[in-house]
Order: sequence, then C-alpha cells, then structure tokens
Amino acid sequence: MCNPGRCLAANTGFFNLDSGKADIFRDALVIDPLAGAIAGAQNHYGHGPEVGVVADVMSEQTLQGLIGKTALGDRAAFASLYDETSAKLFGVCLRILKDRAQAEDAMQEVYVRIWRRAGSFRAGQASAMAWLVTIARNQSIDMIRSKQPASIEFDDAPEIADEAPDPEAQAALSAEGRRIDACLKELDADRAAAVVGAYVEGSSYQELADRNGVPLNTMRTWLRRSLIKLRECLNR
Amino acid sequence: MSAGAHSNDDNALAGEYVLGVLPADMRRQVEQRIAVDPDFAALVGSWQSDLSALDEAYTPETPPRGVKARIEAQLFAGAPGAAQPAGGLWASLAFWRGLTAAAIATSLGLAAFTFVVSERPSDPAAAPALVAELGAPGSSVGLVAALDPASGALQVTPAAFSPEDARALELWLVPGEGAPVSLGLVPGDGGQLVLDESIRNRLSAGALLAVSVEPEGGSPTGAPTGPVVLSGALAEN
Repeated sequence: MCNPGRCLAANTGFFNLDSGKADIFRDALVIDPLAGAIAGAQNHYGHGPEVGVVADVMSEQTLQGLIGKTALGDRAAFASLYDETSAKLFGVCLRILKDRAQAEDAMQEVYVRIWRRAGSFRAGQASAMAWLVTIARNQSIDMIRSKQPASIEFDDAPEIADEAPDPEAQAALSAEGRRIDACLKELDADRAAAVVGAYVEGSSYQELADRNGVPLNTMRTWLRRSLIKLRECLNR
Repeated sequence: MSAGAHSNDDNALAGEYVLGVLPADMRRQVEQRIAVDPDFAALVGSWQSDLSALDEAYTPETPPRGVKARIEAQLFAGAPGAAQPAGGLWASLAFWRGLTAAAIATSLGLAAFTFVVSERPSDPAAAPALVAELGAPGSSVGLVAALDPASGALQVTPAAFSPEDARALELWLVPGEGAPVSLGLVPGDGGQLVLDESIRNRLSAGALLAVSVEPEGGSPTGAPTGPVVLSGALAEN
C-alpha cells in the first residue's frame, strides 16, 4: 500500500514540465516566513512503515543539534548538516525546477539561507527536516515564479461555497493514519490531486488550470474551496 | 492552533502561499503580511506543518560535489565575487583562496579533502598513491589532485569554475626542465582526468603541478597563457 501523497502525486501526470532555461536569479528578499511560524509539526521521518525512502535521514534530534550548532557559527556542523540533508533538498529542487543546473543554483541559495537563518529554527515548533524542505521549496518556487508573469488578474477573491464530499473519491483513496491524508480523502479525488500536485511540483495556478482544462478563475475557486475544506477537517 | 478562527479568505490565502501556486507579486504580498501579522503567520505555519507530510514524495538525489564547495566559498570566502559566476577570473581566484581559508578555519582541511578522494564510490579499493595539494601563495590547500597508478587517472577535487566565465582552469605538470605539459582542464565539479601513459610516467613524488586560468576550452597555444592561481607538488600518499 502506498501512501496517499505519493499515489496522488503519481496520478497527476505532472512530471514532464519544461521549466525553461532562463537563469534569472531573483534577489530574494529575506523575509523569513518560517521564523517562529511553523507550529506543531510532527516528525514524519524515520517513523512508520511507509517511510522507507527516508530511512537514511538522520534522526530528528541529530538534525536539530546540527542546526543549533550552525546557528552558533559552527562550520563543521554546517558541513555535516549539508552532508546529511543535501540529497533530500536536491530532490526537492529538482522536482520543482525540473532542471539540474537550476536546481544546483537553488541549492546554493538554500544552504546560504539555512546558514543565515539557522537561529530562527525552533525545535519543537517544526521538525528539522520540514523546516529545511520548506526553505528549499520556497527558493525553488520563487525561482520558477520569477520567470513567469509576476502578477495574474484574478477575479475578486472567489466565493467559498460548501460542497458535500464525494463518497466514491473517499473510497478511492487508501486509508492511512495521518491527518492530512484523512482530510484529503474528504475532497473529490481530482481536487485532492490538484492540492498534492501543486504542493509537490510547485505548480502555478496557470499550470494547474491548463492541466485541468478549466479557466484560471475556476481553478482558483476549486483550489481555495479545497483548502477551506481541508482546514476545517484539519482543525477538527 | 486557532486557525479555525480566521476568515476563510485568510485560511485559503495562507494555504495558497504554502502550496506555492501564487504568482510572484502575491507571494511577496503574503510574505509582507506574514512579517507583520503574527496570527496570519501562525496560519501559514499550520499549513506548513500539516502539508509537510507530503514531503515524502521528494526522492533524495545526491547533488554534485561542487555544490558544497560553492556554498562554502560563498559563505566563508569573504569575497562577494565568489558567489557571482560573472565575476571573472579574479572571482575564481577568490574562490580558491576563500575555500582554503574556510577549510583551515573549520578543520575541514586536507584530511577532509583526502577523505572525499578516497571515498570515491566508483573505486573504493584503490587508494591514490600520489597526492598533490595545490594552493595559492600565502594560503594552503585549494585543490587536491590524486593519482591512481592502477587506472592512470588523476582524481581532482574539489574544483569549481563557471562556464559562463568563458574561462577554464587548466592543470599542468611543471617539469624541472622543459615546458609545462597540460594534464587537462579541471572538471567543474571535480572528477577524473585520464592521462596518457607517457605523461603518467612523468608523474612522481616531487613533480610540480600548477593550475592556470585559460580561455574556455583550454590554452590555445599548448602552454600556460593565463596566471597561475594554484600550485603544489606530488607526494606519496
């Protein structure tokens, strides 16, 4: 049994995007959306039978220790942190940027940020790996967005309407224990796939709309509605 | 977490930001809001936490070794040009010196580099018999060249130069007498230079190696044309 995140991602067909060759390197404004903002993240690594892929990732405690030492300017700890996490984060950058040269550029910026922001990591608020992956995702997404239109004319904030869950879609998704998986099951299968695909692939609204064959504003309404339903479920 | 107390709009916006679907200008707007609105920041944090379970979909892949060297050079070299490939050959020199300084300062010096060399997964058993530690004047190791007599290959690590520079780093054997002999271009991410047997036979303990900056593709004349930025002698490992 595969976990729903992976199955959904595999079914979305989002794998062959050509993100182009432009090498614009957006001068990243250093706002740290994560500083103190990640709350209550659970450590999803090294626990449970479904996470064999990340079995080689160091323990949460060890990673936290390396981040803490990095915050104190310990370069050897930073080097160890790189050694232990660079494969995972390179995987993130590659998946989103879909270009090795750009992914390497992203990695450089990601670890510079990690070095500079290590002090903002709060053990207990976020898992170390979740914090690191978020930095890699943000960097990669910012890089691809910088090559796309900087703004999109959306209609005014789409109305959020309730919609009954689709029992078939719920049954189609496998049963797993985690909250996000359970809540994704309450969405229509295609909507859940859009959420997972957007997260994992770093898709833009325009790309999601194109893939789903719907207008941009319809796509946004779908996704925002899905997010509201997810949030309601997650808060239960 | 009191995420439920927020408006649907804020919940959706925070989720859109974490998913990454928004265009660049809206991402910046959301980040500005995060910076000044702790409640909204907490909402973003909740999404981040909840969605991080999906991170399992990212399959680890080892990055090229040059990436780490470039990161450490950018952070620890004290040379802004080192972070900018367009900086030209002096950026390359700054890179080397910075890398060296970083290596000393962090105890990541020769031992660490040598460890990387001998850990080559492709050839774990054959330890290099000859090693040259190349440095710039006034500093220490910037590049390690290790000869494996069994395969005849010269393992070079770490090495970094930017193709955008339209410059290349060329490695030379500098004999006691006669003209320098090119051993090849230094691979950007480190790697192996395969040597002709005639050249290999001239490599022995005490032989001097040097790296010069050359036009893209290497020296057009067969002799070093640019400045020598690194040099060092081979020694038995």
